[in-house]
Amino acid sequence: MKLNITLPKFLRIGTLPIVLIVLMGIAFVVAMIRYIFGIGAISDLSYSYPWGFWISFDLFTGVVISSGGFIMAGTVYILRIKEFQPLLRPSVLTAFLGYIMVAVALLVDLGHPERIWYMMIHWNHTSVLLEIGICVMSYLTVLAIEFAPVVLERFPVLHKIAHLIHKFIMPFVILGVVLSTLHQSSLGSLLLIQPAKLHPLWWTPILPILFFTSALAVGLGMIIFESSLSSRYFKRGLETHLLAKLAKAIPVILVIYALIKFGELAVAGELDLLFTSGSMSILFWVEILIGVVAPSIWFAFKQNRTNPNRLLTGAIVLLLGMILNRFNVSWFAVKHPDPLYYLPTFMSNVKYFPTLPEVSVSIGIFSAGILAFGLLAKYFPVFEDENRAAAHVGD
Amino acid sequence: MTDIKHHAYLFDATRCIDCRACMVACSVENNIPMDKTRIWVAGLGIQGEFPDLHRSSMVYHCMHCDHPDCMSACPVGAYTKAPDGPVSYNPDVCIGCRYCMNACPFGVPHFDYDKGIIEGAFIDKCTFCPQRIYNGQEPACVQTCPTDALEYGNRDELLKKAHERIAAHPDRYIDHVYGEFENGGTSYLILSHVPFSELGLPNLPETPVNEVSEKVMEMTIPFALGWGAVLTAVSAGVAMYDKKKNGKTAEEQAEESK
Repeated sequence: MKLNITLPKFLRIGTLPIVLIVLMGIAFVVAMIRYIFGIGAISDLSYSYPWGFWISFDLFTGVVISSGGFIMAGTVYILRIKEFQPLLRPSVLTAFLGYIMVAVALLVDLGHPERIWYMMIHWNHTSVLLEIGICVMSYLTVLAIEFAPVVLERFPVLHKIAHLIHKFIMPFVILGVVLSTLHQSSLGSLLLIQPAKLHPLWWTPILPILFFTSALAVGLGMIIFESSLSSRYFKRGLETHLLAKLAKAIPVILVIYALIKFGELAVAGELDLLFTSGSMSILFWVEILIGVVAPSIWFAFKQNRTNPNRLLTGAIVLLLGMILNRFNVSWFAVKHPDPLYYLPTFMSNVKYFPTLPEVSVSIGIFSAGILAFGLLAKYFPVFEDENRAAAHVGD
Repeated sequence: MTDIKHHAYLFDATRCIDCRACMVACSVENNIPMDKTRIWVAGLGIQGEFPDLHRSSMVYHCMHCDHPDCMSACPVGAYTKAPDGPVSYNPDVCIGCRYCMNACPFGVPHFDYDKGIIEGAFIDKCTFCPQRIYNGQEPACVQTCPTDALEYGNRDELLKKAHERIAAHPDRYIDHVYGEFENGGTSYLILSHVPFSELGLPNLPETPVNEVSEKVMEMTIPFALGWGAVLTAVSAGVAMYDKKKNGKTAEEQAEESK
């Protein structure tokens, strides 16, 4: 890349990557401190709160916003709705990078990161976390295979491998959808073992079904979000007509989700908790209003689905609400045993609030993901057809 | 070796005087640093109105559940439940995910937050002193307890003893032995004169906490195979329909769409 002297162009290409690299560097330093002095040196995690911001943000949020990959792969390859082809590659790339970010974050969060591969040889078949571990590792491989042609087809000999992958892609797509279904729902199952800790407004035996249903909505929202942002950044065309179709499906999924959610509460006889649980009730309603009610109504109107700005607005609201749901389930609504008095000093921390270094690790990993997406989208044909030409102009 | 078939503790909150000798004994026996412990004394502090004041305390350590949630949750199987009681932890396979800490309804497993990857950060919890009980001795905490608030023995006999004690002094005890049925039964049985929640104990059902998640896990493989079969059938069906409609093969279409 040649040096850009004019300011507007420098701003357009230079500032964001530099900021991202600085954030990555901060995260790296903080992670080194953690590896040398322990998790307690950088985080507020304690005996009462073994899981905090990292799990809620990097694992729960990271996995759910990566669900666009399997939705698009299933739509294009299994249902053969070929018109969505232009959205396939960016979605698969988002998912691929998303899962890599999850894995990297776990390497910071795990007490023994060097043993992460033990999940492949030591199996405890009753553990939900094992299922998630196996699924995420396998799905990462599947995503690598699904995305490989994008990189390979640019090189002289390697494009033959890309062609071969294209030819035998179906088993991988089906495997990918199965693995995604399993672990998207299993993230909900992760909390099933905590009926005594998770608030009954969220704890239900059908948590896995709720997680999968909401992951579908989030996946569609994420495709809209990521397409809109990259079209702005790369100054490429936006497939508004395709995104409008995705947006049309969102209210349907959300209504089904709400029916399951409230239906379960009614069957369990817990509807009164909706108004009697104090701050938990408020959290629940905020989550429902932002994540379900607002986007359902917003995307029900045609003018909101056909306008790029309004599409993006709706997607952001949906994502915020659903991310709040994941935070609620994995953190805000989880109450650890706490009325223990005369505690030894190590037990005394029964409150948890993430520290700045803790958050900076997550931000750094997220920045690396954005930077990787930008670089791959710039130098490889992630955005197809008319967009490819636009991407080359920037070179 | 002993003839005990199911090792268990019995704790009587009316006898505990909060001396914490058990904490010292445990740390000495198991060589635990002073700032960490596998056993601790919990309670709600001074209660009631003057002059009716009372203060209750409880010795809190691993409950050695019959259906341990830590064991159910651990992805790599670092926990094992001995048929005769003790739940033990194997640091050699632990990956440090801390899911056991989340899963345990009693908040028992503890983690070395102050250790980096070179020293190695592990989970720590009460081991039931296997080095003592399998040599005919009582666990360190029991042996040191000056008021016999902690007792050790066969679970059946301790349960019988507990119920006899309640029957002998119905005015002194709450008519319930915590741990007899809680979470599917534990090897740590508790007698109390105040509600168990005041001692910091969670209100648990008689079915093990891990029952739901283990049922879901049993469905995983059949579901995966079924869902995979459905998707294969759907994709084959759609491909056939496409071919019939367009008179082209899937490969040709793929070429075209490139």
